[in-house]
Amino acid sequence: MAPPPSYLYTLSFAIALFATILVAATLRLLAILPNSRTNTTIGRKKPLATRVLIVLGSGGHTREMFYLLKDLDTRKYTHRTYVISSGDAFSAQRAVDFEQGLEEREQAKAREKKKKQQEEDGSSADAKIQITDADGTTHARGMEEPRPAYSGAKHYNIATVPRARNIHQPLLTTPLSALHCLWKSFDPLLSAPVSHPPTTSYEAAAADLPNLIITNGPATAVIMVLASLILRFFDVKGANSRGCCKTIYVESFARVKTLSLSGKLLLRVVDRFLVQWEELEAVGGRAEYWGVLV
Amino acid sequence: MAETWKWTPESKLCFVTTGATAPFTALIESVLSPSCLDALRDGGFTHLLVQYGSAKDIYDECSSRARAHLDQQQQKQGLVVDGIDFNPNGLQAQFKLVQRSRGLVISHAGSGSILEALRYQIPLVVVPNTGLLGNHQDELAVAMERQNYVVRGHVHDLTPAIRKSEDFRTKMSQFPPVTSGKHRETKSFAAIMDETMGFMD
Repeated sequence: MAPPPSYLYTLSFAIALFATILVAATLRLLAILPNSRTNTTIGRKKPLATRVLIVLGSGGHTREMFYLLKDLDTRKYTHRTYVISSGDAFSAQRAVDFEQGLEEREQAKAREKKKKQQEEDGSSADAKIQITDADGTTHARGMEEPRPAYSGAKHYNIATVPRARNIHQPLLTTPLSALHCLWKSFDPLLSAPVSHPPTTSYEAAAADLPNLIITNGPATAVIMVLASLILRFFDVKGANSRGCCKTIYVESFARVKTLSLSGKLLLRVVDRFLVQWEELEAVGGRAEYWGVLV
Repeated sequence: MAETWKWTPESKLCFVTTGATAPFTALIESVLSPSCLDALRDGGFTHLLVQYGSAKDIYDECSSRARAHLDQQQQKQGLVVDGIDFNPNGLQAQFKLVQRSRGLVISHAGSGSILEALRYQIPLVVVPNTGLLGNHQDELAVAMERQNYVVRGHVHDLTPAIRKSEDFRTKMSQFPPVTSGKHRETKSFAAIMDETMGFMD
């Protein structure tokens, strides 16, 4: 007959349990953390729709982030989630401005295409279908008219998380507010607000975990990456098995010789760690330098 | 600001920006000092615009002294001194005016201002705030000067940098670098994103 469960409440059992969990957790962490060069994603087929989560910080970080994103292709990154700290009206406004710029760019592109099409229609009547096809991206939507479908209010959202640490907040209560921030970070990670159930593949991508997370140094970024790591650790919504929540960290252009605190914390954790000065190349055996990115 | 400015096609603007969060008051004082004003007039500048941020009192004090100095020397060409507050929407209008007048920007060494000014292909003097501890402004300024993007100035004496800036206009490197890698591969951030996602074109 099995002994009653109270027999398990011994110190040695607690230690054994603790050790087992520790070993299991370490193995799991080793499995999910990026090790030097195991990029198995090369050559993957382009999915129809993806969501990218962009962490914005205070003034300087936000400005650099939008310099980084200047050539963002909305056809590839169909939904954008911008994460800002509460009270950061500047970053929120810059995100809106950036999206407006994307929309205008797409509209201009669409107008140009239409004009070109009309011109070609004049010369040959059956050229229309071929043009739509040659674009390469309209396959999924069949032969409908090209429209600026990947920009505008439906294709982005701005999520607010509480500040990890308020200005002048005593150090003692910082862990509490950081935990609060971490807890609230899961919301924007798990899904972006869309109509239920999602009707298009773009909405489905928006309702899902982000495929990519881009950060460049604010305190919120460390918390967001930590939250994504927890999702991958427990494979929530298949975060790890489906290869979601890939992370890119870009060290600030202002850091020439040493990493920032966020950089040091995230160096071994993110999938890609980018620096913008040659002096920082290969820091920690991981930092990549591909020239100035901003 | 335009009415009192007597702006003509021959005008040449020097624009000074001191940062939003903690205004660099030593830079305001330095640029409005007699030696600096003389160097600007020697360089053919007709207008000096100072973005003083929250340090209006210091600007007012220094600019009245600067005007007194300028009035003493009537024989030389005039220099209009003006100031503006902090503009949260950026400094595009000012940078464009500098670009048009083939002028000069003198900036604190914050990366935001540097990155913004450099998009306009205008000569830029960056002045690290040596009063800030644990700040990496000087490292950035040194690195930027080495790449020939900017001229580094010293807050205690800006005149060498101002003299250098005219010559620098024709020699400065383009930013952001188009093909910065003469001997190594460079990538755009968009390409790195695609690569990470495994998107192949």
